Amino acid sequence: MAVATVETAAEPRRSWSRYRHPSSTIRFAVILGILAFLGWSIAFLNIDLSRVLGAFPRLAEILATRYFPPDVGYVTDADFIHSVVRTLEMSLLGGFFGVACSIPLAWLAARNITISRRIAYPFGRLAIMCSRSIHETIWTILFVTVLGFGMLAGTLALTVFCIGFAGKLFSDELEAIDMGPVEAMRSVGAGPLQVFQYAVLPQVRVAFTGIAIYTWDVAFRAATVVGFFGGGGMGWYLKRTTQQLESTRVAAILLVIIGLVLLAELGSGWLRKRIARMR
Amino acid sequence: MAIAAPDASEHGFDAWVAHKRQRRIGNWLLVAAAMAVLGWCVWDTIVVDTDWARMGGALGIAGTIERFFLIDWSLIPHLLVPALETMMMATLGTLLGCVLSLPVAWFGAANVTPSKYFFYPVGRFLMVLSRSIHEIIWALLFVGAVGLGALPGILAVAMRSIGFISKITAEAIENIDPKPVEAIRAVGGNQFQVMYYGIVPQILPVIIGTIIFEWDINIRRSAIMGLVGAGGLGLVFFRQMAMFNYGGVTLVVLAVLVLIAIGEIVSHYARKAVI
Repeated sequence: MAVATVETAAEPRRSWSRYRHPSSTIRFAVILGILAFLGWSIAFLNIDLSRVLGAFPRLAEILATRYFPPDVGYVTDADFIHSVVRTLEMSLLGGFFGVACSIPLAWLAARNITISRRIAYPFGRLAIMCSRSIHETIWTILFVTVLGFGMLAGTLALTVFCIGFAGKLFSDELEAIDMGPVEAMRSVGAGPLQVFQYAVLPQVRVAFTGIAIYTWDVAFRAATVVGFFGGGGMGWYLKRTTQQLESTRVAAILLVIIGLVLLAELGSGWLRKRIARMR
Repeated sequence: MAIAAPDASEHGFDAWVAHKRQRRIGNWLLVAAAMAVLGWCVWDTIVVDTDWARMGGALGIAGTIERFFLIDWSLIPHLLVPALETMMMATLGTLLGCVLSLPVAWFGAANVTPSKYFFYPVGRFLMVLSRSIHEIIWALLFVGAVGLGALPGILAVAMRSIGFISKITAEAIENIDPKPVEAIRAVGGNQFQVMYYGIVPQILPVIIGTIIFEWDINIRRSAIMGLVGAGGLGLVFFRQMAMFNYGGVTLVVLAVLVLIAIGEIVSHYARKAVI
């Protein structure tokens, strides 16, 4: 025993192992905990694992048999095309107002340049977090309840959604700026608004434009289903056809949604690339 | 060239000013066009489409909002099980999403894809498809396929998370350091060993960070799955809404906020532990 200790003391590297006591044990305990939670959830939610795997062939089968010949005539109807235009309008307005509101909020919620860390910072954080945490469909339902059916409710819901989405990205971007110009402006006696205009904005202008375009892209994606809960636009058609079990029409609407979202994504990606090159 | 420099620079200055002016005019035109489009949108949304008379004026709106603030606290015991269900749905959905996104990421990463002309575009297309369909639509499709309950919600959340997880994973795979891979290949490692010892250790922190982030987002997604028939807090929300019990609706929204705050705290510490 004594000899062994002497040996390990002389050559400590000899007893190397991939597993070290505190860190490896904690890691395995965490993994075990996660696995136990997963097992418990499967048991609690009463999930039949064979159905999970069966779901995909079943989905394919249903798509092939019930949804298959998409009713193209339905989506080339003038009313439907008008609703697509309205969806686009809602996403533009929601994106614009959302970005317009989220820039000042992001300013408050950026720790390094906020007006006051005690009052403004938590306020900005909380506002962004609340609008982010609640899903856009819940916002839609709430606005529809208060303001009635129509595009106004959808637009407001999208605005709140964009405040949460863009506000977080904006404030992250603001927290990463170079503080040199800010301090220079402050040291010559500039007020907070002047600091923001001359020291902060020029640094983040390009990034903000990119984020604003991305926000519109995401808002458009959300706008396609806002109508499902009464917010106006093409979602309403989706709801009507789903509830009347007109699967071929649902299929056509879904194809239109996928196509438009792909177009929006390609367009926003192209624009963002161009703007990033202007940097 | 060097002799003409001062003259050219002066000329260059004029050209620069002219260019600036041109650009400014172009920018103003762009802004004016954008404003015109936005103005038309505002007009169409607020004047044409909104029925102001039906809203009942500011007092009517205030009255409706006031009903939301009469919070129905008696609902709390009925929220615990749905909240747990929502959490479980998000966790299982994220797990399934990860499992499903592994092959997609493998196909969609340019340097490890099995075939550049077939599997690479397929992988990329699956990524875009998963992200472009809203979770409500995924849920509707799966409710049609497997019936009501938590399962369609899990599947919908999983399908929606594939896009993001596999995109980040594929990017991480594309940006790995190729040297360990070459070393393992040089000493005779097979394809599996290359993946397990050469690629996985390099991308693991990124993937785990992404999964934690996605789990956080999936909590808010699974909180609405009940709206289309897939259990959890969304179902309680739907029921309270159908009963016009606005106080209960507010409480459900507060419960969602609490869940998300928990998720945010957990994911904050988990990410700190990983990175």
